[in-house]
Amino acid sequence: MVDGRARRVSIGRRGSPTSTVIAVSDADGDALDHDADRWLVDKVRAGDVDAYEVLVRRHRDRIYRIALRMLGNPHDAEDVAQDVVIQLWTALAGFVGSSTFTTWLYRIVVNRCLNHLQRRRHTRPVLDADSPPAPGAEETVIAEQRAAATLRAIAALPPDLRAVLVLYQMEGLSYREVGAITNLTESTVRGRLHRARLHLLDELRGWA
Amino acid sequence: MSVPRGVDDRGRDDDRLRCGRSIEETLAQVAEGRGAERDEHQRGCLHCQAALAEYERLWSPVREAAAQRITAPDSVLESALRRIRGAVEHSDYGVLESPDGVTRIAARVVVVAARESARGVPGVRVALSKQVTATTGASEPAVTAGVAGRSTAIEITLAADHGLDLVALGERVRREVAARVQALTDLVPVEITVIVDDVFT
Repeated sequence: MVDGRARRVSIGRRGSPTSTVIAVSDADGDALDHDADRWLVDKVRAGDVDAYEVLVRRHRDRIYRIALRMLGNPHDAEDVAQDVVIQLWTALAGFVGSSTFTTWLYRIVVNRCLNHLQRRRHTRPVLDADSPPAPGAEETVIAEQRAAATLRAIAALPPDLRAVLVLYQMEGLSYREVGAITNLTESTVRGRLHRARLHLLDELRGWA
Repeated sequence: MSVPRGVDDRGRDDDRLRCGRSIEETLAQVAEGRGAERDEHQRGCLHCQAALAEYERLWSPVREAAAQRITAPDSVLESALRRIRGAVEHSDYGVLESPDGVTRIAARVVVVAARESARGVPGVRVALSKQVTATTGASEPAVTAGVAGRSTAIEITLAADHGLDLVALGERVRREVAARVQALTDLVPVEITVIVDDVFT
């Protein structure tokens, strides 16, 4: 939609068992996911809880995944993800659409994680080191242990480097997108990413 | 041969491999999955080859971790949504009576069933559903037992792919929703209103 206004065309009598109401709008060429997100956001802003559920359902794995990779601990990740889901309901009133919903959401999750890390400083080791390996083939168990160790290594990075690494390396975002989310210039993103990679190599060297 | 960081001929750390290539670029090449795309220098340089091999070895667990599929526990969504719904919604129930007892079905169950079945219709990009009050003018939602005898009325709002016959799409959605809701709940959708609210190209 270019101007945010829908052209509504009604067919049939609304309320009858065969009614269909059609509203046609111009397209803006954005990716379909962004279109669907924007459509849902408009509904949420009008107070539609079901639209909110659909919107959050589309993004819940992303929210949790970022939190897990930022915090390195499933329990903390779950707490932060739940907080984000609750916070978004009211925060969406302030979403003006100057960025995509996804970028805005990433920003909220990353900031929430950084706040959480600040509060958690020096209090808890990352990830459940004593959690039993999942049953399954030996290869699967080893892969899971390696993934868990990698997550620990990422969680050992300084938070400012970690956010850039998670967004770029793990989430596959561009320098520009990471910059928009973290409020950094692209060159700063590149610098932090390199430092994060070097830190990570040092961590990984110990057990690789 | 370990070449994780650049060390110059005098043993000092720097940001270049001994051949002069940038460590940052070499590491980025591996981290971004371009380790095998070696240029002419790298094909003939032992320092670059050693560095690329070592970075590949060290970086492979990161690549695996990035590819790992992580799904959120149900609790992430459900407990948060319960709190939000509790603040803004009331619960209505359909009641199905049988000689052996009564089955109560929350209006929300019908809403979710209708929404998910509408979303599964080809051409529907995103769909929402809600229960509507009975067209008889009764103040209760149609799903409430006795109002219309195990019946329910549903409204589907959706956005569709551009270029479709939207009236035909509306009919397909209506058929799918009616069949699915009845199969899942035994409530009879007597009225299904489809609103095509937007189209995406």
